[in-house]
Amino acid sequence: MPVIFKQKWFWYSILCVLCWGGWALLSKLGSTEISAETMQFLFTLGTLPVVLVLLAKKRFHCTESRKGISLALLNGVLSGVGGLALFAAYRTGGNTSVITTVTALYPMITVGLAVLFLRERLNRVQFIGLGCAAVAIAILSS
Amino acid sequence: MMHVPPWIWFAVIVLVSWGIVGILQKLSTNYLSVESALIWLVVGFLLMEPFLYPGRKLFSYSARSLAWALGCGLLNALGAWALLAAMKSGGKASIVAPLTALYPLIVVLAAPLVLHESITRLQGVGVFFALAAVALLST
Repeated sequence: MPVIFKQKWFWYSILCVLCWGGWALLSKLGSTEISAETMQFLFTLGTLPVVLVLLAKKRFHCTESRKGISLALLNGVLSGVGGLALFAAYRTGGNTSVITTVTALYPMITVGLAVLFLRERLNRVQFIGLGCAAVAIAILSS
Repeated sequence: MMHVPPWIWFAVIVLVSWGIVGILQKLSTNYLSVESALIWLVVGFLLMEPFLYPGRKLFSYSARSLAWALGCGLLNALGAWALLAAMKSGGKASIVAPLTALYPLIVVLAAPLVLHESITRLQGVGVFFALAAVALLST
């Protein structure tokens, strides 16, 4: 049996993939009847049980830095805007696999912004990744 | 004129907003633990709730659709928690991030069964390149 199968982190990663795959499928199923705004409203309520467990585990100590909190809050609002747009995309009736795959390409924007604003440098692997993303978008958006 | 599918404009909004989120996530975890950043991110979601509240219309939807909508939030948060757990239990970010970025594969595999949707061969090629791109960009 390969060593990787005995690693806890591997199985947590698989659980993450399964959960996020399920999230996309349920998003599509819900979006066929429910508007994008209401989907985002209910989505947020759905996240609360996990966040409450996290909060309890941290004994409600999560206020390390005001700057960090402001950034994370802005993160939440922007994530919500993205979520709204994703639900709206599913509601158009487009192919779910294609929409999910194209929207999962957001790291290409992150990498581009990191180069522009954080002055990070692209490594060779990321450069090839950007090339693959360009090919994918050209094919899937046609 | 080239035909552009209607979902593409929404996809652009997703790409830009989540692309910026990637940067903010990096910055916020310079000041907060990853767990705290996740907690405050959901507080950010909650800030939007008054603007999204649908009123009585909420009760006009079928119980099944409401369950899907609540379930998708739960699964998304569980996925984020599993990602945290993977990192904390010794997973290297350079392996865990590209591995977990492959979640669209589950949709591609399950869509014919769950949604009765399939993709063309050309779209399959596009999906292959997209998955390769996400995995490579996440390293």
